[in-house]
Amino acid sequence: MTNQASPVEEQEKLLEEALNVVKVQAFQMKRCLDKSKLMDALKHASTMLGELRTSLLSPKSYYELYMAITDELRHLELYLLEEFQKGRKVADLYELVQYAGNIVPRLYLLITVGLVYIKTNSNLRRDLLKDLVEMCRGVQHPLRGLFLRNYLLQCTRNVLPDTIEAQNENEGTVRDAIDFVLMNFAEMNKLWVRMQHQGHSRDKERRERERSELRILVGTNLVRLSQLESVTEDEYRRLVLPGILEQVVSCRDAIAQEYLMECIIQVLYYAVQQLAAGVGHGGRVPPARAARHPRAGRQLSRRDRSGVPHGVHHTVLYNRRVCDVQVFPDEFHLANLQPFLKSCAELQPGVNIKNIIIALIDRLASYSQRNEGNVNLSVVLEDGKEQEVQLFEVFSDQVAAITQSRTDMPPEDMLSLQLALLKLAQRCHPDKLNYVDRVLAHTDKICVDIHQARYCPNIFKKVGKQTLEHNTPVFKELMKILKLPADHYKNILTLIKLQNYAPLIRHLNYPGRIMIAVHLVNDVLESDTMISTPEDVESVLAMLDVLVKDQSDQPTSEPDVEDFTEEQGLLARLIHHLRSESADQQYLILSAARKALQGGGAARIQHTFPPILFHAYRLAFMYKDLKEQDEMWEKKCQKIFQFCHQTISMLVKAELAELPLRLYLQGALAISEIGFANHETIAYEYLSQAFSLYEDEISDSKAQLAAITLIIATFEQINCFGAENAEPMRTQCALAASKLLKKPDQSRAVALCAHLFWKGPKDGQQWPLNEGGRALECLKKAARVAQQCMDGGVQAQLLAELLGRYALLRERGNHHATTNLIDAIIQKIREELANLDQSEEVEQITKHFHNTLQHLKNRMECPDPDGLGYEGLVLS
Amino acid sequence: MSSRKKVLLKVIILGDSGVGKTSLMNQFVNKKFSNQYKATIGADFLTKEVIVDDRIVTMQIWDTAGQERFQSLGVAFYRGADCCVLVFDVTAPNTFKSLESWRDEFLIQASPRDPDNFPFVILGNKVDLDNRAVSAKRAQQWCQSKNDIPYFETSAKEAVNVELAFQTIARNALAQETEAELYNEFPDQIKLNANDNGRNRDGDNCAC
Repeated sequence: MTNQASPVEEQEKLLEEALNVVKVQAFQMKRCLDKSKLMDALKHASTMLGELRTSLLSPKSYYELYMAITDELRHLELYLLEEFQKGRKVADLYELVQYAGNIVPRLYLLITVGLVYIKTNSNLRRDLLKDLVEMCRGVQHPLRGLFLRNYLLQCTRNVLPDTIEAQNENEGTVRDAIDFVLMNFAEMNKLWVRMQHQGHSRDKERRERERSELRILVGTNLVRLSQLESVTEDEYRRLVLPGILEQVVSCRDAIAQEYLMECIIQVLYYAVQQLAAGVGHGGRVPPARAARHPRAGRQLSRRDRSGVPHGVHHTVLYNRRVCDVQVFPDEFHLANLQPFLKSCAELQPGVNIKNIIIALIDRLASYSQRNEGNVNLSVVLEDGKEQEVQLFEVFSDQVAAITQSRTDMPPEDMLSLQLALLKLAQRCHPDKLNYVDRVLAHTDKICVDIHQARYCPNIFKKVGKQTLEHNTPVFKELMKILKLPADHYKNILTLIKLQNYAPLIRHLNYPGRIMIAVHLVNDVLESDTMISTPEDVESVLAMLDVLVKDQSDQPTSEPDVEDFTEEQGLLARLIHHLRSESADQQYLILSAARKALQGGGAARIQHTFPPILFHAYRLAFMYKDLKEQDEMWEKKCQKIFQFCHQTISMLVKAELAELPLRLYLQGALAISEIGFANHETIAYEYLSQAFSLYEDEISDSKAQLAAITLIIATFEQINCFGAENAEPMRTQCALAASKLLKKPDQSRAVALCAHLFWKGPKDGQQWPLNEGGRALECLKKAARVAQQCMDGGVQAQLLAELLGRYALLRERGNHHATTNLIDAIIQKIREELANLDQSEEVEQITKHFHNTLQHLKNRMECPDPDGLGYEGLVLS
Repeated sequence: MSSRKKVLLKVIILGDSGVGKTSLMNQFVNKKFSNQYKATIGADFLTKEVIVDDRIVTMQIWDTAGQERFQSLGVAFYRGADCCVLVFDVTAPNTFKSLESWRDEFLIQASPRDPDNFPFVILGNKVDLDNRAVSAKRAQQWCQSKNDIPYFETSAKEAVNVELAFQTIARNALAQETEAELYNEFPDQIKLNANDNGRNRDGDNCAC
C-alpha cells in the first residue's frame, strides 16, 4: 500500500475509529492516574499516542486526532506537575518514557515529561530544549513530524528563555531560544517541502492543497520568534532574519517560499516594531532604549515638543490598530530591506513573488506615510559605504530587476507590481510627480510588450490588436493603475501634468477608454475642478478623446442611445468647468474647446456646443460689466458674437434645425440686452437666421408652432429694433403665423402676433412702434379662424384664450380693444359652452373662462388708475 | 473522577480580526499589554491557574486567528471546549454584527452536548477609546436575546474588567464541566481486542 490517505468518504470512518481508541485509552489513563498507577497510565498514553502513527488520515483529520490526543495529554502533564511540585519525584522518568516501543508515542511522551522537568527545575532548561529539538529528528515522516514538532513548539511556549543575560547559564538566554526555534523551523520546513516530492505525480494537486493546509504549522515558528521580547536589533539582523531567509531561499520550493515570505512580512515585521517600540507597556519607550536608537529618540522628542499629551496621542494610535499601527519606526526593517529583497530575487520561478513585494510595499508605505514624509534609508554600496536613498528608488530598481529576471511572470503580475509602486510613490512621495510618471512610463512599456507578444505576422497581415481586451486580467490591472492617480489627486490638472498618463489610456480598448473617461469627468464634476487655461483645455479634451470624437476601433453598430447621451451629457457638464476669472482668457478657452470639439460630428456637437454658446453669451455680459475698464469691450463683444454665429452655423451645417434656432434666439436676446455698437444689425442677423431656419428646415406642424411662438416671444422681448428692422420682421411673422397648417395653431399664432404690434409701456414710455389697429386685426383674425374650427370644444377653448389676450391688450393701453368687443367674445363663449356636453375638457374651459371673468370683475371693482378700465362692460 | 482535585478548563476566544483577542489573553495571563498589532496564525494557547470557590482550576485559553486564511487546518481545537468567549470591538459595529455568526460557527463545529445551555461570555473590548460605536445597551439587549449571555465591557489596554470577566468565564465553564461529569464519561464500548481489530493502522511499514 502506498503512503497516502484514503478517499474522503473513508476519512470520517477512520477518524472515528481512531477517536474511539483515544477515548478508551484516555479513560484508562486517567483512571490509572487517579489511582497513582503511573506506569500503567503511561502505557495507556503510549497506546493512545500510537494512533498518531497512522498514514491514512488527511491533514485535517489528523489535526482533529492530534487535538483530541493532546487535550488528553494535558491531564498527564497536570498530574506529573502536581506530583513533582509535591516533591514526589519519579526518578529517571525522562529515561523511562524512552522505552516506549514506537518513536512517535515515545517522543510525545518525552516532550510532555521534559516540559514538566523544565517547569520544576529551570536549571535543566537549556539542555533539555536542545535535547528535545534534536530528538525530534527521529521522526522523518512529514505529516507526523510536522505535528510532533508543532506539539514541541506549543508545549515550550512559556518556557523559552527570554532574557538577554542569564543569571544561571543553564537556564539559557534568548540566544538559545532563537537557536531552538530556528532549528525547529528548519526541520519543519524540510519536512513540509519533502511532502511535495513524495507519492505519485498525478496526486500533485491534492498534495499541494494538503501542504497549503499544513502551512500554519510551519508559520507558527515565526510567530514564536516574534513573541520573544528580548531579541535585540543586532540579533534580529545577524541571527533571526538571515536564519529564516537562508532556509527560505535554500529550500527551493515555491509554495514554501511564497508563504514564508508573507509570514515574515506579516508576523516578524511586527516583532521588529515591537522592539523599536520598547515592548508593549502602553506603548511607552523606556528612555534607555530610545537613546540607543537615535532616530527613535528624535521621533520621541519631536512629539514631546509638540506638546501632545502622551495619553491623547496614544489613543489616536490605538484607534488605528487594525490597520497595523506602530508607535515608532521600524528602523530594523528598513535596514534589512536589502537582504530581504535580494532573497526575493533568488526565489524559485514558480513563486508568486508579486504578492510578497506588494505586501511589503503596502506595509512600508503606510509606515512611511504615518511618519509624515519621506523615509530615507541607507543602502550599503559595494565599496562598503552607506548611501541614503529614497524608499521608492529602492523598490523601483528592485521591481525592475525582478521583472527582468523573471521571464515567466505573467504580464498582469508585472502590472500589479507597478500598481504597488504607484501607491508607494503617491503615499510616500506626494511631492514627486516624476516618480508617478516613471511608473506610468514603465507601465506603458509593459503594455507595448504585451501587444508585441500578441502580434502574430503569419495570421494578421496588418498590425495585430493594439488595445487590451475587456475584462482580461491585464485590462483590470491597467484600469486600476489608471484609476489610482485619478482617485488620489482628484484633480485632472495633475493628471495632465503626467506625461505618460494620457498615452496609457490608449492601451485600453474602446469600452475601457470610455469607462476611464467617464470616471475622469465625474471626478472633475465632483471635485468642482476649474480648468482655466486654453492649454489645459486642450490637454484635458485630448485625454478624453474617446468622448470627443469617433474612434477607429469603436463598434460599427449604432451605440446605445441612452449610454451615448449620458456620456455626452457628462462632457457637456465638463464644459461648464472650463472657466477663467479673466475675460480675455475665457475667450481663448472657448475657442480652444470649440476647436477640440468640432470634430465630434452632429451627434456630439449638439450636446457640447450649447454649453460653449451659453458660456460665450455669459462672457459678453462680463465685458459689458467691464466697459469702464476695457475700452475695447464693444469690439470684443462683436468678436464673441461672430464666434457664436460661426458655432451655431456649424450646428446648422450638421443638419440640425431646432437647436440652432433656439440658440440664435438666445443670442439675439443677449445682444439686444448688452447693446454694444452695431448691436441692432447683429441682433437682426441672429433673428433673421432663426427665421430662415424656421422657414427652410422646420416642417413638423407642432415644431412649427413651437418655433414661431419662440420667435414672436423673442421679438417681443427685444427693444433695440427701429422701424426699418422691426417692420419686415413682424410682417414676416404674421404671415408665417397665418400660414400654419392647422386652424387652432393658426388661431393661436396669429393671436400672439398681436404682441408684435403692441407692447406694454416700458419705464413709463410707450413703444414708439405700437400700432393698435394692427394688433387688434390680429386678434380679430384669430377669432375668425377660431370660429372656423369644427370642434365646439376647441372653439370655446381658443375663444377663452383670446378673451385673455383682448383683456391684456386693453390693460396695456390699446384702446382698440373695446369693451364691446370683449363683451361680444364673452357672449360667444357662453353660447358655445351652452352647446357642449359636460366633460372634463369642457369643465376645464369653463373654469378658465370664469377665472378670466373673475379677473375682469376685480379690475372693474378697483381699476388701475393709469389703465383704460372696463367701463361699460356688463358681466352678468 | 471527582477525586482529581485539579480541573482543566478549555476556553476558546473568538471574534473578528483586530478586536483584541490576543491582547485580552495577554492581559489576563501575563498582565501585559502592547499596542502592536500582530496577526495570530493558527491557534495557540496559554494556561493560567485560577481559584474558583476554593478549587484550583487550570484555564487553558485558546487564542485564535480572526482571519480565516490563518486557519487552514480547520477548527478542530473547538472540540471539548468548556466555555466560548466572543469578543467584539465597541468602536467597530461590524465586529459586533459578526458575533452571531461566530456563535453559530462555534456551535456547529464544536457540537457541544447541550448547545442551548452552552456557556458563552461576550466581551465588548476597547472601552478605553473615545469613538465608541456600539452602545452598552445594544450589546446587552443582544446578549439577553441569546439566553442571557453574560456581557462585560473590557479594556485589555487598561485592564478594565478583564479579571472579572475571566473569573466569570472560569465559573461558568466549571459549572458546565461539573454538569458534564454527571454524564457517564465511560466510553460506549470496550473492544477487548481493540488493537488488532483488523485495522490497518499504519498503512505502511514505517516503524515510527
